[in-house]
Amino acid sequence: MSMNNELPTVDALITDTADRLFGELCTHDAIQAAEDSGGAGDIWAAFAETGFPWVSLDADAGGSGGTLQDALEVLRLVGYHAAPIPAAETGILGGWLLSSAGLELPEGVVTVAPDAALTIDDNGAVNGTATMVPWGRSAERLAIVSNGHVASVRISEATSIVEQTSLAGEPRDTLRFDGAAGEVAPAPPGVDAEALRFRGALSRVAMIGGAIEKMSQLTVSYTNERMQFGRPVARFQAVQQHLVWAAQDAALARMVAETAGRIASVDGVAAARFEIAAAKLNANQAATRATKACHQAHGAMGMTQEYPLHHYSRRLWSWRTEYGGTREWSNWVGTTAIAQGADGLYPLITGGSTSL
Amino acid sequence: MRFTPTALTSDELALQSEVREFLADELPPGSHEPGLGMSARHDKAFSKKMAERGWVGMALPTEWGGSAKKAVDRFVVVEEMLRWGAPVGYHWVADRQTGNIINKFGTDEQKERFLAPICAGELGFSIGMSEPDSGSDLASVSTKAERDDGGWVVNGTKIWTSNAHTNDWFICLLRTTPTEEGANKREGLSQMLIDLHNTDGLEMGPIPFLNGEHHFNEVSFNDVFVPDENVVGQAGMGWNQNTTEMAYERGGPDRWLSPFSTVEQLLRETHGTEMNERVVEMFGEMAARWWGIRNMSLSVSRLIDDGQAPSIESSLVKEMGTRYEVELIEKLVELVDDELTLESESLFQRLLAQCVLTGPGNTIRGGTIEILRSVASKGLQGLPA
Repeated sequence: MSMNNELPTVDALITDTADRLFGELCTHDAIQAAEDSGGAGDIWAAFAETGFPWVSLDADAGGSGGTLQDALEVLRLVGYHAAPIPAAETGILGGWLLSSAGLELPEGVVTVAPDAALTIDDNGAVNGTATMVPWGRSAERLAIVSNGHVASVRISEATSIVEQTSLAGEPRDTLRFDGAAGEVAPAPPGVDAEALRFRGALSRVAMIGGAIEKMSQLTVSYTNERMQFGRPVARFQAVQQHLVWAAQDAALARMVAETAGRIASVDGVAAARFEIAAAKLNANQAATRATKACHQAHGAMGMTQEYPLHHYSRRLWSWRTEYGGTREWSNWVGTTAIAQGADGLYPLITGGSTSL
Repeated sequence: MRFTPTALTSDELALQSEVREFLADELPPGSHEPGLGMSARHDKAFSKKMAERGWVGMALPTEWGGSAKKAVDRFVVVEEMLRWGAPVGYHWVADRQTGNIINKFGTDEQKERFLAPICAGELGFSIGMSEPDSGSDLASVSTKAERDDGGWVVNGTKIWTSNAHTNDWFICLLRTTPTEEGANKREGLSQMLIDLHNTDGLEMGPIPFLNGEHHFNEVSFNDVFVPDENVVGQAGMGWNQNTTEMAYERGGPDRWLSPFSTVEQLLRETHGTEMNERVVEMFGEMAARWWGIRNMSLSVSRLIDDGQAPSIESSLVKEMGTRYEVELIEKLVELVDDELTLESESLFQRLLAQCVLTGPGNTIRGGTIEILRSVASKGLQGLPA
């Protein structure tokens, strides 16, 4: 037996350290406070001090080094702990755009325009209105890819910022730019809006995997403590069904996240497009099913602000539509699958992007 | 519970190519009526051809005729067979589980007698578990085997015995110690190998399937003598041995690929036509979900090869996979919106008609999804299954 099924793994030090850090900082009260104030400067500061936001970005460009798989493991833990911070945007999305184009990585938060609505004109000026920009209000820079170029603009250059929040109460702001000047550099091959879309999707898959796992664990412990009819409600078959379905979706989401993440990390995002698309579609649907099951198992308690279930369920409702919802990705995967023809359908399912 | 991602090695990928070439030669599309996964046709000649390649009983030791391959190798072979709708019915049960049980618990004499013909694709097995009063509550089986000189005398009835009329032997779960009031019903059960066609006192009759087809049988025992040499493993330990068998039975590609040949045929018959958005989205969801479930199912096989007993994981995969099969069939019916007939000129329509008629069985056979949830849920809560 050859040994090449030994897959690259994540540095356990990263997992342990990030898990411990988030476990200490992301308490129920701290997450709630971040929602109330629109930011979590102290959690971000502690996170940034470890260098975690810049994992997978080239150390020569000011990054922390490491692989994309390492960065996705940190994002899984962001989801698991409902860490209210722009980790994906600063790192594998905005930070990736800037460092790939040789632009300087700022010390603070970087964000991106997920809807690709901003343009860089021939003079390097940025124009347009971007909606649902994660933590737009508290970011230092916005990274844009358009027209074969990457631009880094200061948020303070925005003509207007309208503050909005996602279903999870995280900042998702509308930013308007009218000829804002920034630093501009040519985008290297493979750095474009489509690549950013796939990376964005991959980031959310990792976060969804973490959040469903935590939500599933929370539901197992709650239903074992909650007594009705003289016994823990987890003893009832009808409740067990919810526990099993949530655990299944937690396992499915983590499996697709890790599979897509490993291929993207080793062979590049462009070589993992089927896996990322299929993973996001699976994760979106798993998020829908698992939130339904976990809420039902919690009863009225899960509908309160006081009990932490909503930190995870509301994030899942938000993340499942970010960087492509079910319709967008089912169209992408469906078009790809149909193009393979009858004889190519199963090879696509087994071989993924390598069969394209 | 943890599903670790895994990928096929270069050797395993080479095996996959070999199987694909074999199928393209033996059963080119259009030359055969594909089956629905493991409910495939019985074709002894085909089983023999597979056996010649070393693909039946492939995880069994070479000294008994096997190929000493791994669970993942078998995974690679069976997923290709099932997606092709190949006629694997005759050797299916023997290959998937009975051979493993005999290898794990049987005597050398039993291994020599049964494993060699299994690996040659010449011995088809059925499973004798359910009884008229014993379905999901399997430990309540009451078909009894009483001690006699050199063996056991069996009386009782087994039902839902799939393909007993076409297979050769079956492995039966029998009660060898009567259950006393308050005793643990899981104790006192034994597994025995019984010849389906050359056994005095054994009678068999069909239990026609809902559309009249013959899959199920009722098998009754009237003072059937089973010699000691046909008892598998230790008398009284049948429950534990049977539970081991379940780990092989659950979570494999047979639990999620049943409608694949139908979907593939839909794509073949609609080739070149414009698909509306709903159909495109269905293909997307289906390809993505199969890719996700396959990764989990493959991970279970790798865990088995790593020496673990992933019974919770395999129950979760089987519950999810069979439920998805049924969901997909419903979706196909809605999208196609045609009146179905098994006599249609369209192979896709014939297969979909067959999917509809057999679909409810997918979430019942080999342990209902309700029982699987109960097993998995105990695992999640750290309780014994």
